[in-house]
Amino acid sequence: MEAMSYTPSGAELKLEDETFLSDDFLRQLINVGEVDILIGLPTHNNAKTIGSVVTTIRSGILRGFPRERAVIINADGGSRDGTPDLVTGVSIDDARPAANLYALRTLHSISTKYDGSAGSGAALRTILAAAELLRAKACLVMSPEAAHLQPDWISNLVHPIYRDGFDLVAPTYRRHKFDGLLTTNLLYPMLRALYGVRIREAYMPEFGFSGRLGSQFLGQNGWHDGNGQAGVELRMTLAAITGGYRICQSFLGEKEHVERRGSDLIPALRQTVGVLFSALETDFLVWSKVAGSKPVPTTGSEQELQLDPIRVNRKRLREMFSTGVSELQSVFQSILSPSTLTELQRIARLGEEEFHYSAELWVRTVYEFAASYQKSVISRDHIIQALAPLFRGRVFTFLVENRNASAIEVENNVEGLCLEFERLKPYLLQMWKSRE
Amino acid sequence: MPLNTDVLWYKDAIIYQVHVRTFHDSNGDGIGDFPGLEQRLDYLQELGVNAIWLMPFFPSPLRDDGYDIADYHTVNPSYGTLEDFRKLLDSAHERGIRVIIEMVLNHTSDQHPWFQEARSSHDNPRRDWYVWSDTDTRYKGTRIIFVDTEKSNWAWDPVSKSFYWHRFFSHQPDLNWDNPAVGDQMWNVMKFWLDMGVDAFRLDAVPYLVEREGTNCENLPETHNIIKDLRRKLDEQFSGRMLLAEANQWPADLRPYFGDGDEFHMAFHFPLMPRMFMGLKLEDRKPITEILQQTPEIPASCQWSLFLRNHDELTLEMVTDMERDYMYDMYATSKSMRLNLGIRRRLAPLLNNDRRRIELMNGMLMSLPGTPIIYYGDEIGMGDNILLGDRNGVRTPMQWNGGWNAGFSKAEPQRLYAPLIQDPVYGYPAVNVAAQKESEHSLLHWMQRIIAVRRSNGVFGRGSIEFLYPANHRILAYLRRLGKETVLVVNNLSGAAQAVELDLKRYKGNILIEMFGNNIFPRVGDLPYLLTLGPYQFYWFRLRRV
Repeated sequence: MEAMSYTPSGAELKLEDETFLSDDFLRQLINVGEVDILIGLPTHNNAKTIGSVVTTIRSGILRGFPRERAVIINADGGSRDGTPDLVTGVSIDDARPAANLYALRTLHSISTKYDGSAGSGAALRTILAAAELLRAKACLVMSPEAAHLQPDWISNLVHPIYRDGFDLVAPTYRRHKFDGLLTTNLLYPMLRALYGVRIREAYMPEFGFSGRLGSQFLGQNGWHDGNGQAGVELRMTLAAITGGYRICQSFLGEKEHVERRGSDLIPALRQTVGVLFSALETDFLVWSKVAGSKPVPTTGSEQELQLDPIRVNRKRLREMFSTGVSELQSVFQSILSPSTLTELQRIARLGEEEFHYSAELWVRTVYEFAASYQKSVISRDHIIQALAPLFRGRVFTFLVENRNASAIEVENNVEGLCLEFERLKPYLLQMWKSRE
Repeated sequence: MPLNTDVLWYKDAIIYQVHVRTFHDSNGDGIGDFPGLEQRLDYLQELGVNAIWLMPFFPSPLRDDGYDIADYHTVNPSYGTLEDFRKLLDSAHERGIRVIIEMVLNHTSDQHPWFQEARSSHDNPRRDWYVWSDTDTRYKGTRIIFVDTEKSNWAWDPVSKSFYWHRFFSHQPDLNWDNPAVGDQMWNVMKFWLDMGVDAFRLDAVPYLVEREGTNCENLPETHNIIKDLRRKLDEQFSGRMLLAEANQWPADLRPYFGDGDEFHMAFHFPLMPRMFMGLKLEDRKPITEILQQTPEIPASCQWSLFLRNHDELTLEMVTDMERDYMYDMYATSKSMRLNLGIRRRLAPLLNNDRRRIELMNGMLMSLPGTPIIYYGDEIGMGDNILLGDRNGVRTPMQWNGGWNAGFSKAEPQRLYAPLIQDPVYGYPAVNVAAQKESEHSLLHWMQRIIAVRRSNGVFGRGSIEFLYPANHRILAYLRRLGKETVLVVNNLSGAAQAVELDLKRYKGNILIEMFGNNIFPRVGDLPYLLTLGPYQFYWFRLRRV
């Protein structure tokens, strides 16, 4: 096994990089051979959900692509609950015909333990390497927790690649209006404003990609550094955008709401905002020339919102915002402009009824964080962490503003925020250049 | 070379299917004949076949290529005389070649005197030799076989103003086997040919002999009783002769035709053939192993008969709808290649004239359990002509050389019973016996070689089979065993080179001897036995403990 170390730059997968695949896994890949469709499943102790997920995936393959050569590849982070066995158990071959299922051809479902700590980067790297070795034409990565997964999700993600020649298929879902707040308030509008591409779910729980995009991305640098491990799905989206690959969105259906703990926010910010801020540096020549934004082709419905009530502790959000602004003042002085910091301090003192974190102030805040990240005014990870209380303040306002809003009104508000990000993009450019 | 006396001769046979009309014309009338076929027996002997199966050669209006028989007791004068047939029979036997002929028990031509008498009057003694009805609503649960041409299994007879039953074309009325006189008469017919020295019958369309209301009129117990009766008479009077069933059925439905070894000696394994083509195209052994897993054991004296192509369409009756669609899309891209529920093409065009795939398919044909049948011309890779109607495109004259009429006939070309294949790829100037005899590496020589290797070891004809299931699904591997003899067969169904690890632990210490070159391969040890195979390559290994 190769030690986890930084690899010198190089555009193509190097031989030594391939050795991170175990001999046993290579043996399994030899048995699988060339495939048309590869479904990647990164897992780590997902025994509770993985059984139904792989069964649904198998149904999706048999129903949508009975003639194609397909494989399910599980990259497991060292599960101790039997997850890999549940995945490999759905194989269909002549020695183990599946009961009540008819399959024209063999369907392999194989598993490997990826090297290193549990994390989506190492898992995706394993899946990408397998896809390249098997010369897969269309690849999917599916979440092992997708409780609402339906067999037609497979077709919805594969067809745009296999039939229509797209390279990246991002999902859209039917979500609750307050689900995915980091996406609606930051990731989607900022990525859209900077890169000019309206991809709703750039940090994709499930997605599809072509073999050529997978190979290109596998050959990129940084698999061994911290950035390579975190937010790799977003990095792939950005690679597709900057590489000029054909991108589309596919509506999959309902996405279940997952309750997150407050402590989950920092890792989520690292994997999304951290990756995005980091990419701005290398992608400057791309995003600095982009004005406005364009929609990407979308199959099925656009993003849909559900209006069922879900419980959110707004009061706690505002308190954490006010506490953060107070306690992190010295940090914010390094990151934010005096006018922005003054305004944040002003609203931090407001009562719950008067509190309002405007879209403009939020966009200026985010852009100033991005510029400071580029300048590394303090530790970059501290910058990301410092954004957390401010994000909570912004979410408070978003929740209040949309408390009684219809789905259309929520969408209009998100659209308004996006336009604000686009309108203020010159402000970011100005800071970026001045700081150079 | 005299005929061997083993009553199980059919287990070791290599059968060559040929139509007298197609093989060689000795008198220049444009139609192949018995003397012509007799002249070509040396070729068949050199090829290594030890049985020929002759398609119907009886007098017939030829509206179904001879399967519409108008007289069972003589031969079609176009092919010669009864004496010519006797001479052919003797000449074949002198060369150690047995002769299998067609026997159509289910129906006759509507031109047969029996039917002419039957329709002539409701009171005619032969009226009850056929199945009549005042309505066309009986036996509703019966499928129509020739769906492209027939709308019903009943046809109106304007002469006797009744409907008559026919499972095939409407000009082929079904005989009424419920009438004992029919059974007696058909045994007399069989006995006539057996007395002459015929070695076996291929009994056509056997599942359909009897009709019963409320059934699908196929595979009925009464049909089996008829077969048992014929078999009993055969064994009593003509030991060592053989009955081969044509019953296009699923394996479980075919199994009863072997009975307890007291019905057919052999039966075609129809469902296997399309799955061999499917497995090749899918590059996946699953269709092949699955159907063979579903194939029941048969009595020790019985044998499956295997084939790649024959005179009919590549039948897709015994596949699922999904499989049929796949086969059509892969092997019959043009609608004109399709007929009924099948594909009317020869082996070489089906496989895009890819020599490697042709060899692999023949390799499987020769090594899977059963007696292989080679369709005439496939041993040289003949093509077809889909512009000819019905199944005539795969029944064109044999291509003997690149000269006049491909050496088939001295007649004017326009007098030939069917046009020669003339396209640049498969035409007789390019594909013919004489040219291939000159070329050491021709398909013909290769076929001679594989037949010789097959015949060198009884395990292929009589041995058991055990599938290995290597994780690489592109590899079809099996062990054939007979007594102390074990042969390992490994087929690469893929167009790319493959590596495969075989679990041969039981044979630790054995060395592998490749049967075509007699080269020694490494000894089997504790580890899985690693083999690499080129695209569509296959190996036959004898296992030997040294």
